[in-house]
Amino acid sequence: MKLTKKIFLCAATIAAVTVFSATQADQLDTVIKRGVLNCGVVLDFPPMGYFDKENKPAGFDVDYCNDLAGALGVKAEILNLTWGDRIPSLVSGKTDVVVGSTSDTLERAKSVGFSYPYFVFKFQVFSKKGTGINTFDDLKKFKVGAALGTTYETEYLAYAKKHGWGTDNYTSFKSENDAYLGLFQGKVDAIISTNTNIATKLQTQEFKDYVAGPFVPDYDDVVGLIAKRSEVAWIDYLNLFLIHQIRDGKMNERYNKHFGSEVPADLIKTLRDNK
Amino acid sequence: MEYEFHWNIVFQKMPQLLNGAFVTLHVSVLSMLIGIAIAVLLAIAKMSDYKLFSLPATLWVEIARNTPALFQIYMAYFGLGAFGIHLSPYVAVLSALVFVNAGYLTETFRGGFMSIPRTQYSASRSLGMNSVQVYRYIILPQMFRRIYHPMTNQFVWSILMSSLGILVGMDELSGETQRLQSLSFRTLEFFMVAAVMYFLITKLVLFSASLVSQKLFKGDL
Repeated sequence: MKLTKKIFLCAATIAAVTVFSATQADQLDTVIKRGVLNCGVVLDFPPMGYFDKENKPAGFDVDYCNDLAGALGVKAEILNLTWGDRIPSLVSGKTDVVVGSTSDTLERAKSVGFSYPYFVFKFQVFSKKGTGINTFDDLKKFKVGAALGTTYETEYLAYAKKHGWGTDNYTSFKSENDAYLGLFQGKVDAIISTNTNIATKLQTQEFKDYVAGPFVPDYDDVVGLIAKRSEVAWIDYLNLFLIHQIRDGKMNERYNKHFGSEVPADLIKTLRDNK
Repeated sequence: MEYEFHWNIVFQKMPQLLNGAFVTLHVSVLSMLIGIAIAVLLAIAKMSDYKLFSLPATLWVEIARNTPALFQIYMAYFGLGAFGIHLSPYVAVLSALVFVNAGYLTETFRGGFMSIPRTQYSASRSLGMNSVQVYRYIILPQMFRRIYHPMTNQFVWSILMSSLGILVGMDELSGETQRLQSLSFRTLEFFMVAAVMYFLITKLVLFSASLVSQKLFKGDL
């Protein structure tokens, strides 16, 4: 009797340990075992994320997803997100990582885990030629728009508040594309977007009469990958991946493909300084 | 799910959320009131024997009821914008909601009108009332009493549909929630509080409507 009891206890312990250690599997294990990396990208933000002529996801961020999946030895599954979907997609487990130009504010870091920075943007004013916006302070006199829930919206509103402009002249748009549509239709005189997106738009026929204006003063938009805050080992892996992207020349290759030049030395420097 | 809720950030931003809630209440109540006025006229026009009146009313009802409100709001803002007509987000959402409310209510009101025997109309006319007086004193009071409950459904819809204002950057409760959650990424907390606020707004409007109805219909519903 006693022996059977002991054997039973032993078996129960082993079973418990197995179950317990199974729940210990972290995100890194989960992704490798699953064989698929669910990677969220904002696909209305060229050249970081967009749909190409065949309506397939493309862009710098999409390439980074594929590089990460390649490093992990798994297949990348790209999920199209809006700016507002980024966190819910992580919390609900639909994505493992979001490569979505997420500004690494301290406020957000209370909610979500940030990797090292992987890109740096400048925020810039975009308007029709001859609008007469020469400095950022000129915006006081104009109707300004930006995409809802972006850091440039926050920065503009903070600047406007600090200088007593009020918010009557401000319109927010649901998405990046709608902001450009609003500018195109003349709903606003200028929008604020990133230098990279503006550069892409300037090459299109619709925006040939438009011009990139002043930058948001004294602001570097440093962005990182985001993952669940609790997945520390996973974020460690993401960090090492980003270091390797620079070290192995992959970042330069991707930059060249999407921006048509070598990655600027000061961009690499800012990335390293912000690590 | 291992998710830690942080509520204090939501309470810090309460004034902004309440502002958004006020805009939601404002736009939906206003769109209902205008919608009711238009729907009464449309319902009468739709029942008219003259095609000149009945056709446009039918067209309005058919378009309003058979296309998504989301599309109507988008058309009012960006659609008209393509023709150089620029409505503010508030006016775009208000007009789209009036359009859809009027469309739905027309059918409700028409049903109400039809349920009142035509003989009452003839009887009132024979007492020397003109058409306007007949509607004002005889038909409309009975009609509103009968369609009160279906009408309140549209009230609720109107409030909930105003959340589509987020599409065109209107600072109503959904838009404000979206903006605030993007600052802190406390998405779940903000959305849950916003959902509770929508619930309370809806209850508040229904309660006020029942007070008004008790006054108007002397509690006889």
